[in-house]
Amino acid sequence: PVNSSSCAMGNKTTHIREKYENILSHDIDELVNMSAEYRDRCCKNKKHENSKVFFCNDTQEIESLQRMACNMLRFFHKQKISKDYRWKAALVSCGTLQVLHCKCERHKKEKVCTQVNTHNKDTEKSEQSKKKCNQEFCELKENISSLRSCWNKFEKIIFR
Amino acid sequence: MLKMTQMSTVLSIFVLFLRTTFGESGCTSADGDGTFVDDEPDNFDIDCFSQLEFKDSYSRLTCNFTELPPHNTNYTLALCTKEDGNYVCFNMEKQEDAYFLQFTDILSNKDICMDSETKRRVCRSLVVTDIVKPEVPFDINITYQKEANEYLIHYSTPHSWKKYLKDKLIHQIAYQKEGGTWKTIETPYLQIKLLGKNLENDASYEVKVRSKPNGDYFKGMWSEWSTSKSFRTAREQHSTESYNSMVVVILSILGFMLSIVMIVLVITFWENRIKPAVWPNLPDHKKTLEQLCKKPKNNFDISFNPESFGYVHIHKVDGIRAKAEVENFLQPSTALETNLTEKFRSGSDLKMNLAMTDKSNLNLSVTYGGIWPAEALNRLLGTNQFAVTEGNCSSSTYEVCHSNRVPLCDDGFNLPSAPLLDPSGQPGPESLNGDTISQMVPTSDMRSPNNEEAYVTMSSFYKIQ
Repeated sequence: PVNSSSCAMGNKTTHIREKYENILSHDIDELVNMSAEYRDRCCKNKKHENSKVFFCNDTQEIESLQRMACNMLRFFHKQKISKDYRWKAALVSCGTLQVLHCKCERHKKEKVCTQVNTHNKDTEKSEQSKKKCNQEFCELKENISSLRSCWNKFEKIIFR
Repeated sequence: MLKMTQMSTVLSIFVLFLRTTFGESGCTSADGDGTFVDDEPDNFDIDCFSQLEFKDSYSRLTCNFTELPPHNTNYTLALCTKEDGNYVCFNMEKQEDAYFLQFTDILSNKDICMDSETKRRVCRSLVVTDIVKPEVPFDINITYQKEANEYLIHYSTPHSWKKYLKDKLIHQIAYQKEGGTWKTIETPYLQIKLLGKNLENDASYEVKVRSKPNGDYFKGMWSEWSTSKSFRTAREQHSTESYNSMVVVILSILGFMLSIVMIVLVITFWENRIKPAVWPNLPDHKKTLEQLCKKPKNNFDISFNPESFGYVHIHKVDGIRAKAEVENFLQPSTALETNLTEKFRSGSDLKMNLAMTDKSNLNLSVTYGGIWPAEALNRLLGTNQFAVTEGNCSSSTYEVCHSNRVPLCDDGFNLPSAPLLDPSGQPGPESLNGDTISQMVPTSDMRSPNNEEAYVTMSSFYKIQ
């Protein structure tokens, strides 16, 4: 994989592998399982306007992952999405950026990671009811699926 | 000028002396982020451990001072992370003598910093994945397996349903006999077996468990010990039980072999011995009679065919008297000739041998095969009372089935017969040699003129013989 200008991976493939296998992969699996619990009937028929589609380009897996992670961070403030769900998605995005030593083009997005990593009991409120299906939820779910697929592809490359 | 130069030199030397003596540092650390990292991190005397997934997705950091700081000094511990050039710190919550902090990010490298009123912030690097302290195991179960004489110890850990430390722990099982020393065993699994032969019989034991990261990626320390569980080992019954089971096995084998032998014997002797005894065949009269007969003498033919006894001298006897009757014969008495009537079947299969031991004592031994001729009787008895003629032989019969004038038997033989005379009514010594007896039904016209009819039963024949 080609080193991205936003990422400073260097030759730390071993560290990436260890962190992904022992920590990040479990978080991604948990997020995917959480996606299956929400209603997504509206996601099949609707065409998502202005939705960005990210591909996991060959030889550019790290850049693809960095773009996907940075794009997922914008859903952290979407109130129509369940708080637990978007909070978990932001955690995975921040973990992806941290493992790959990447930064987002827009620095404001990384502040989300600071907020996500901060534990504040006062603001933590568990949602008892899940929200209805909406376009933002569908986009986030699609992003999560793409992120997972790209990580699987990248894993096969770096874990040869 | 010279004095100014000397003064500056002395001051610089003095400053260097002071810096060397007091070890002032931190200001020259080149972090550039506003923090001061101590050049000697070992002075930072705190111990920390992390608990992953302590509550939901949050992990927890716990720190405490190894040496308590002075009471009049307030210290603050903070967990700091570098993010895009920024040093973001989160203060830990103090509870009694320990500091706690919940966090989510376990991927990034962190620093633990101590702030005090008198000192500058001192930080030390901290890798939360290297100071992991697992949760305490629980639910210890001990099961005794009699067949294997083993004790299965099973326990649980909260990390089985969590993400990071599942299947990445090493468990240590400690057990001791009551009042003895602890012995430990380590395993990555959630169960272990203790061999019964390594434990004392009928003794009380105690078991407890703790866990630690296996060191592949997560490192750390032992968890707290679980609550102890006690159990008592079995008595020495297993040896007795094994002995009993061996006896049962041996007896089962012997029983099986015995049953096999019995089956073989039954099959072998079924036709010849068992079946005839269980279901005897209907007797063949001829064979039965042959079997009942005593073994004849060499010159004695056993046959019911009259033609086979052509060579036999048949003595026709009209009547057979009992011994007492014969004795009366010896005395002048006319009753004897009128009382003694006896008819034999002519050519009968009865042969009566008259053996006279004494004239006063007529002993008739009767066997099958003939009748007494009149001449012989006359010669023996000396009288002509017998009016037996050969012509009467054809109709001569004798009755052997009566005793005391009571018919003892009655069969299909409708041969005319006359009751044997016996004044006493008792079977006399002239009883037939009676293995087989030809039985006759008496008729009234054959009765003797004597009112006391003489009956000779087969038992009397036996006695004669």
